[in-house]
Amino acid sequence: MVAQILRLKLRLLGNSFRRSPWQLVALALGLLYGLGTAVLVVGGLFALRFFDVDIAASATIVLGAFVLVVYTVLPLVLGIDDTLDPRKFALFGIPNSKLATSLALASFISVPTIVVAIMAIAQIATWSRGPAPVLLAVIGAVLIVVTCVLSARISTSIAAFLLSTRRARDTTGILGLLALVSLSPVIIALISVDWAKEGLDVLGAIAAVVGWTPLGAAWAIPADAAAGDFGGAMIKLLIAVAWVGVLSVGWRALVATMLVTPQRQAHARKYSGLGWFGVFPATPTGVIAARSVTYWLRDSRYGTSLIAIPFIPIFMVIALIIGVGPLPLIALLPLPVICLFLSWSIHNDVSFDNTAVWLHLSASTSGRADRLGRLIPALTVGILVIGVGSVVSSLVYGDWSVLPSLVGASVAILFSGLGLSSIMSARFPYPSVRPGDSPFAQPQSGSPAGTIQALSFLAIIVFAAPSLIAAVLGIMYGGYWPLVALGTGLVIGIGILLIGIFWGSAIFERRGSQILAFAMRN
Amino acid sequence: MESDAAVAKPATVRKTTPRRATKPAGEAGSAAQASTTQPRTTQPRTTQPRTTQPKSGAAKSTTARPAASRPAPAKGAPAKRTPSTRTTASSKAADPMAADAAALDSQAPESQAPDTQAPESQATDTQAATESAESQAPKAPAKRTPAARPATQPRKPANKTAAKPASATTTTPAAKPATKTPTRPAAKPTPSSDLVAAPESAAVIVEAIENVEVVEVVAPVEREIVLKVTGLVKRFDDTTAVAGIDLEIVAGSFFGIVGPNGAGKTTTLSMVTGLLRPDAGTVTVHGADVWTNPVVAKRTMGVLPDRLRLFDRLTGSQLLYYSGILHGLDKKVVRSRSADLAAAFGLEESLDRLVTDYSAGMTKKVAIAAAMIHSPRLLVLDEPFESVDPVSAANVIEILQKYVAAGGTVVMSSHTMNLIERICDSVAVVVNGAILASGTMAQVRNGKTLEERFVELAGGRKAAEGMEWLHKFSD
Repeated sequence: MVAQILRLKLRLLGNSFRRSPWQLVALALGLLYGLGTAVLVVGGLFALRFFDVDIAASATIVLGAFVLVVYTVLPLVLGIDDTLDPRKFALFGIPNSKLATSLALASFISVPTIVVAIMAIAQIATWSRGPAPVLLAVIGAVLIVVTCVLSARISTSIAAFLLSTRRARDTTGILGLLALVSLSPVIIALISVDWAKEGLDVLGAIAAVVGWTPLGAAWAIPADAAAGDFGGAMIKLLIAVAWVGVLSVGWRALVATMLVTPQRQAHARKYSGLGWFGVFPATPTGVIAARSVTYWLRDSRYGTSLIAIPFIPIFMVIALIIGVGPLPLIALLPLPVICLFLSWSIHNDVSFDNTAVWLHLSASTSGRADRLGRLIPALTVGILVIGVGSVVSSLVYGDWSVLPSLVGASVAILFSGLGLSSIMSARFPYPSVRPGDSPFAQPQSGSPAGTIQALSFLAIIVFAAPSLIAAVLGIMYGGYWPLVALGTGLVIGIGILLIGIFWGSAIFERRGSQILAFAMRN
Repeated sequence: MESDAAVAKPATVRKTTPRRATKPAGEAGSAAQASTTQPRTTQPRTTQPRTTQPKSGAAKSTTARPAASRPAPAKGAPAKRTPSTRTTASSKAADPMAADAAALDSQAPESQAPDTQAPESQATDTQAATESAESQAPKAPAKRTPAARPATQPRKPANKTAAKPASATTTTPAAKPATKTPTRPAAKPTPSSDLVAAPESAAVIVEAIENVEVVEVVAPVEREIVLKVTGLVKRFDDTTAVAGIDLEIVAGSFFGIVGPNGAGKTTTLSMVTGLLRPDAGTVTVHGADVWTNPVVAKRTMGVLPDRLRLFDRLTGSQLLYYSGILHGLDKKVVRSRSADLAAAFGLEESLDRLVTDYSAGMTKKVAIAAAMIHSPRLLVLDEPFESVDPVSAANVIEILQKYVAAGGTVVMSSHTMNLIERICDSVAVVVNGAILASGTMAQVRNGKTLEERFVELAGGRKAAEGMEWLHKFSD
């Protein structure tokens, strides 16, 4: 049984490499990236061999705790598709303990396990300071790997089990993002630490606490031994072993529960009336716009970008304030950045529809209605944001003369971005997260998604460049430059928007069936 | 519909009388419901070839009673044709009757059994008559022409009312012994009914033939071809999904496309509906080419694709509204039609929920509703009843049948043979991307059930050999 499930897992892993050339290229890049990181970490761990025990202990324990947290939390947030979900074996009538053991063993065959195993082995090198530390480091390495794999295993199943309903999936993604965002004070606090002076103290303080918890206990065993505290090492060994026991018992219980528990039923919520459809006019353009707005508010894939768009500039501002201090110039930054991401966010809008776009084809919807309808929500929000944002930004900046520049540059970015997105989404759709999947799930990528994203992003900046340059000149020299920025921004923005709508419409009408065929392939 | 059925009934009943005799009486009850459905599924659209079918069907039955039928055509034909009122009146009704009688040669006749058989004497008489057909034959034609027609029509109601209570009590076993022994005595005292019944039925067979022929003479097939497909080809890489399909579907037909999994049904329908560009071939809907004149062509079409998503983050009512407005309807119209559709499809309770929370069957229903909201001329439905519960399916079928009766055209694919056989009047069998048989249901079935015929066309069943281990249970 164990052998069979291990073979199954190997085959699954092997098949994940059997993809199209593009996907292989992407995979190779990903592997290269992962390997690079691993090499860096391994190099660091080897280097720590030559540092004081205190420093090495702090570094390894904090690193180890961080790795374990990532292993535990990531599956919950990403909602990783569990290839070896215990429920898939429910019908085979395998005894529970056997199944739990087999699945746990099978989960050792994975790329992340290899990564953590490399780290665990490398930390043996860190503690090659005598026979006792080495021996304990070897035991610790085993415990590290087992703890990580079991934690990931359990949290993956919990994610699949508890978050199986659509609404739960919809919300966890957004919640995860919010949690990440709310962590930003912590990150800022960490950034603001003067690492050169107090870094080691901070690390040491963290390590001292974490080393006694299951998070860092396994990493702390050889460290204590190396420091001569064999009593502490034994207690930490006990903690780490006990934790593995807790995890395995928990895993068995989870498998047992999952096998006999049916899928959770979603509690369907009722909506009354036509919602946004009652607000917009009853024309094809109107209903497509209403549908877009509804999706922006109801679909977590749009929801994440809706949350991310205001937070990206906030992060930038915080980073800049930390980096260069609170300059008034920073106040001018958020608005154009919001416009940039807002207009860029719909550059793959058609792909978000997936195959549902057939309805537009079948109704022979005009390209104009389709293009306009899709960008009306972003356009409306964008214009409102520019209206309010430019005034607020100017107020904070403290000089009203910057207002025309700001409006011009923002309009140039928003409008030309929307125009470009209209063309891109019709001409170059690339696979996106399917409706109902976790917004962080990896789509079957491998298409030139990255290229398209980068190109459409750059193109927006290129088109907005004249207005941006004029705006910068206006801030530097004043004079007529702000008005030039406003003028060029309006002309270029509206021009690109109109061209984008017309060209995009033509492309949509011409390529309708290809767009659908593309969606069906994904 | 109802009046048509009423006209059809007497004719069918009379027609079946002789056939009964050739069949065992046992299946009578089971087929009874078929009698009610068959005439209702008005199949007014006849394509030319249908003539052959009734004829062959009639031929079969006539062989059973060669003596009686042989003289009949000669007399029956002219006699029948003259009362033109009847032919026109029954032009709709006679047609399905003839087709059904011929097509469902195993079922339709028996379906009338309770009616005909019920008055014990008559049922037995009929059988007796057939058994002794040879001997009575000479008499029959002589009596037939004057007596048969007036006799049958008034007799019918009486027959029916008598039938109900009688059929409840008189079961086949009871009828059987009566048939054999009292044949002579029974036949003798009531010679008129006996004799009339036999020749009358012979005449009816002829009538059936005649009606079909007359229909085609009176109303030559000039139905518009609402969907014309020529030389449709689609390849995916090195596999040919659709290898040259030609179809002509006339307005007002209920057309079924059957085929095994992977036969190319969905690919064909995707190309027909303009969702997939064919490698070769043309599709014309109501005179407009789907690929060169899509706006006009698609306006006349309602589409239910298989395995494509819906905008499922909308509520049911939003989706219907979306579909309606996209198809160019007015707001008010959409709202009233949405309400109608929701009532007809049993979706009222679900309209305010997100489509993504629907069950598979409900999703299908709301998709069908969205496909017909703009009252298209042609409905192309790919697997419309997959995972739809029987009650809802029956509702939807009734809606579709009314739509067809009003001149609409339905093209649907399915691999449920019984369903297609029951509700479609024409059918095409698609295997490996090519049409192996197409035409009216009767033509394609060719005297078998559609399933038998289909299995035959699709290359026959594979004998399930080497499965003996399945019969030794492993525990």
